[in-house]
Amino acid sequence: MLHLVGLGLSDETDITVKGLETVKKAARVYLEAYTSILLVDKSVLEKYYGREVILADREMVESSSDEILRDAQTLDIAFLVVGDPFGATTHTDLVLRARELSIPIRTIPNASIVSAIGSTGLQLYNFGQTVSMVFFTDSWKPASFHDRIRENRTIGLHTLVLLDIKVKEQSLENLARGIRIYEEARYMTVGQCCQQMLEIEEIKRAEGEGMEGVYSGESLAVGVARVGGKDEKFVSGTLEQLCEVDEVLGGPLHSLVLLGRRTHELESDYVREFAVDKELWDTIWKRDYEGKQ
Amino acid sequence: MVNFTVEEVRELMDKPTNVRNMSVIAHVDHGKSTLTDSLLSKAGIISAAKAGDARATDTRADEQERGITIKSTAISLYGHLEDDEDIKEITQKTDGKDFLINLIDSPGHVDFSSEVTAALRVTDGALVVVDTIEGVCVQTETVLRQALGERIKPVVIINKVDRALLELQVSKEDLYQSFSRTIESVNVVISTYFDKTLGDVQVYPYKGTVAFGSGLHGWAFTVRQFAMRYAKKFGVDRLKMMERLWGDNYFNPATKKWTKNGTHDGKQLERAFNQFILDPIFRIFAAVMNFKTDEIPTLLEKLSIKLAPEDKEKEGKQLLKVIMRTFLPAADALLEMLILHLPSPVTAQKYRAETLYEGPPDDEACIGIRDCDPKAPLMLYVSKMVPTSDKGRFYAFGRVFAGTVKSGLKVRIQGPNYTPGKKDDLFIKAIQRTVLMMGGKVDPIENVPAGNILGLVGIDQFLLKSGTLTTSETAHNLKVMKFSVSPVVQRSVEVKNAQDLPKLVEGLKRLSKSDPCVLTFISPSGEHVVAGAGELHLEICLKDLEEDHAGVPLRISDPVVSYRETVTGKSSITALSKSPNKHNRLYMIAEPLDEEVSKEIEAGRISPRDDFKARARILADDFGWDVTDARKIWCFGPDTNGANLLVDQTKAVQYLSEIKDSVVSGFQWASREGPVAEEPMRSCRFNIMDVTLHADAIHRGGGQLIPTARRVLYAAALLAEPGLLEPVFLVEIQVPESAMGGVYGVLTRRRGHVFNEEQRPGTPLFTIKAYLPVMESFGFNADLRSHTSGQAFPTLVFDHWQILPGGSPIDGTSKVGQVVQAMRKRKGIKVEVPGVENYYDKL
Repeated sequence: MLHLVGLGLSDETDITVKGLETVKKAARVYLEAYTSILLVDKSVLEKYYGREVILADREMVESSSDEILRDAQTLDIAFLVVGDPFGATTHTDLVLRARELSIPIRTIPNASIVSAIGSTGLQLYNFGQTVSMVFFTDSWKPASFHDRIRENRTIGLHTLVLLDIKVKEQSLENLARGIRIYEEARYMTVGQCCQQMLEIEEIKRAEGEGMEGVYSGESLAVGVARVGGKDEKFVSGTLEQLCEVDEVLGGPLHSLVLLGRRTHELESDYVREFAVDKELWDTIWKRDYEGKQ
Repeated sequence: MVNFTVEEVRELMDKPTNVRNMSVIAHVDHGKSTLTDSLLSKAGIISAAKAGDARATDTRADEQERGITIKSTAISLYGHLEDDEDIKEITQKTDGKDFLINLIDSPGHVDFSSEVTAALRVTDGALVVVDTIEGVCVQTETVLRQALGERIKPVVIINKVDRALLELQVSKEDLYQSFSRTIESVNVVISTYFDKTLGDVQVYPYKGTVAFGSGLHGWAFTVRQFAMRYAKKFGVDRLKMMERLWGDNYFNPATKKWTKNGTHDGKQLERAFNQFILDPIFRIFAAVMNFKTDEIPTLLEKLSIKLAPEDKEKEGKQLLKVIMRTFLPAADALLEMLILHLPSPVTAQKYRAETLYEGPPDDEACIGIRDCDPKAPLMLYVSKMVPTSDKGRFYAFGRVFAGTVKSGLKVRIQGPNYTPGKKDDLFIKAIQRTVLMMGGKVDPIENVPAGNILGLVGIDQFLLKSGTLTTSETAHNLKVMKFSVSPVVQRSVEVKNAQDLPKLVEGLKRLSKSDPCVLTFISPSGEHVVAGAGELHLEICLKDLEEDHAGVPLRISDPVVSYRETVTGKSSITALSKSPNKHNRLYMIAEPLDEEVSKEIEAGRISPRDDFKARARILADDFGWDVTDARKIWCFGPDTNGANLLVDQTKAVQYLSEIKDSVVSGFQWASREGPVAEEPMRSCRFNIMDVTLHADAIHRGGGQLIPTARRVLYAAALLAEPGLLEPVFLVEIQVPESAMGGVYGVLTRRRGHVFNEEQRPGTPLFTIKAYLPVMESFGFNADLRSHTSGQAFPTLVFDHWQILPGGSPIDGTSKVGQVVQAMRKRKGIKVEVPGVENYYDKL
């Protein structure tokens, strides 16, 4: 049987009791390590679980899934995913392949950023589509997220923006030559994300799309770091202000929430506490958000 | 003694109207270097006695040994016109009677024609040398075409006239007819490549743009020179006289009138050209060669030729040489023709600016070039690298098109891949020194203004082979050179002693710098490969590598041919590949690209830099493309300019533009290393039929799409009846009738295909034209020599690609399959061609 086990958000102890029992008795344990990362090292996990954990990078999961699924018809295989197993769409493929091989599947859910983001005080009911932000290059600046945000904002909903991480990725040049040299790991920060968002907004406005614009440097947002960890951190303010808060937020992983105009007063009261500049927050809140439907 | 100083040369540089930048071009062995000698002797660089034998511009030992030019050599000369009448005849602006001639002697052998390209780029005029007996040959045509493509104005000299007189003993009329035929064939080539802006540049003896002579004997004349002598005698206008001395013009001694009618009272009149020009020459030849010593002094007196006392003692050929050289000095005829008829940089850059520059025609750089303005921002094109005596260092050889370059000037060095506004392929460095190129030597010079040719020290390590130097931050590149030859023959090299490897690597770098056409790379299996235009070119390159650039003993493999992979049909089904995360799917179909389109792309006439609408128009009007398709060409490949196209035929796919870069990268990769044998692809068109994408950008980045694009391209190609293309040489062989059997025998045995056989009028020589696969050409020259007792002279030049016959390349049992497997084995990859199932994903 293939067990997809959610690990939660922060460290080794976030695993559920059911999950831990599965891990302990599984024949092989794989840790998926590219869609997200835990804030602790693999060795810490191994020590806590009391057994060996095999690191599965993107290549292994996408191209050598046969190895992961080997003998899973009879043996128990645990596939550990940071957060919730289906938090990202990525692993549906593994399940489909397992089904083809008639391997039974069980999922053990856990907390995910999608639910934990509630700790900002923003109500999960008010969230629209989730988008992710990739690292831009000189020539590649995918702007499709902008359309999703527009849709969310049209009906006044918050947008959760997940930020790109690059763990063990080839540079584009090496990729196009088939050379397996991997770049150093990179994690996007809230600051980078805000800058890229504003860059795209500027391009779109210049192109004349959405005349009034979708958001601006004065739109309110919350930047979060290491949600669910002991040292989780929240900072709120305008997108412009958030461009400069990377030092306050500290190390990875970061995420961002762009507020919708239907923000409830209670939500504002809660988020206001994290504001870089409370006065400015109040001014903008009164001007653009309060009482808007 | 050199009769001019660097200071004088420098002074003339400031008068660009009096500068002539010219190259000497021709078929191999038609006598370029020998003719160049006579100009050098006039300038005092070599002695008159040595001229014709010295081949001073063949500066390398192997050039002297083999008697062929391998590298082009530049030299600056000082010219002077005595006669005010001459000056008046110059149709462009001039300033004084002194002229600076920057001359580049270039190689004639086809394998080195990239050197010619580099020479042509920096000159405005060309002296085309044609052998009287052999006439216009393949390479004459090639270089002439290249010249016209660069908007270079040609003048012609018909060389080796002495051979016609001494060896073939032709009559005057026969010689006239032979001249006339040769000029006609030159003009046919010129008019074929007619360029509106350059205007009509056909050459005519009566306009003074054709000279006749013998480089070996150091004499030459133009019709104009004789017209000047006779104009006084007959008391007619010189221009009128010139026209009368060529073509169907006769002087009737009975009526003392000029006539167009060749007969009088039923008797044949003698053509004016024969009577007034050839006759004195024939008489000199007859008198001297038949040892009629008593006739000679009278003849000399009549022609007012004065010989030095010691020369009077000579006889036979030696005497003939001295008399002819005194009577009709080659340098005078050539200098006059060059100065009068070739354009100055001021004239030439006006019409060359738009073809030279990649940027808009109205920016400061282009205006500077157009006006040949020494005060404009610097625009300098480096066309090649010339090795210095300091091992491993090079002079960057080039031409200043605008501005002034001087030692210490900080310039932007823009390589061929530079795009304005970006930092790729760009260095900002100071020029250490500027030098004047004088054959094998250099002379330091303080600065050089627009319109001149020079060498630069200290920038060689920042440029691979060629590039643009400028001081303007907004300047685009000067257009990258297109070579008419492609490196189709390759050999791999390895060091005999392992510790020499670093030296080999360094040597390969230097080799690729010193030759515009050679290609060096590391194969996937780790071999160092050197690719060249032909066997000879490669041999010379490797010799240079072993003895000079690397300086270590090398083991060199047998030559191998580089192939191209193509498709011969349309993909039998639409190929589909999924990205590694399975969320993105690409659908593609491969089909062959028209051979004509591929050739246009390879010739640079259809290029990725064209305006896409104009390009679509051409593809639709001339090649029957659908306009919508033609407008949606995503890219060319490999190397973004090859003859394979990726066409977007999808309908309404959202966010397609966001994956374009990744698919294009995958296409470059796949077209560089095809699915059959990892050889480059050629002449394939890939249509993107449909695309499904994950909604979120993070799941469709390069990591997902690049490998997928490559796989789907491979699958599409394998489903479209893949084929292997082999390069084919055009062979032209000059051979006497008696040895023709041997030629045919050798050609047949080597899969050669003769398509033309012609006798050169007035000679026993036949010209045979045939196609010969490059694969079969190794050792061809030696084979031919032994079967014709050395009487056949072949020229081989790459002509086209053809499908290698003998089955499918993916069938290991077929002949082609065997070739593929041998190639894969050599490259160190799995011997069997991976099947389509490796790349095709089922739905």
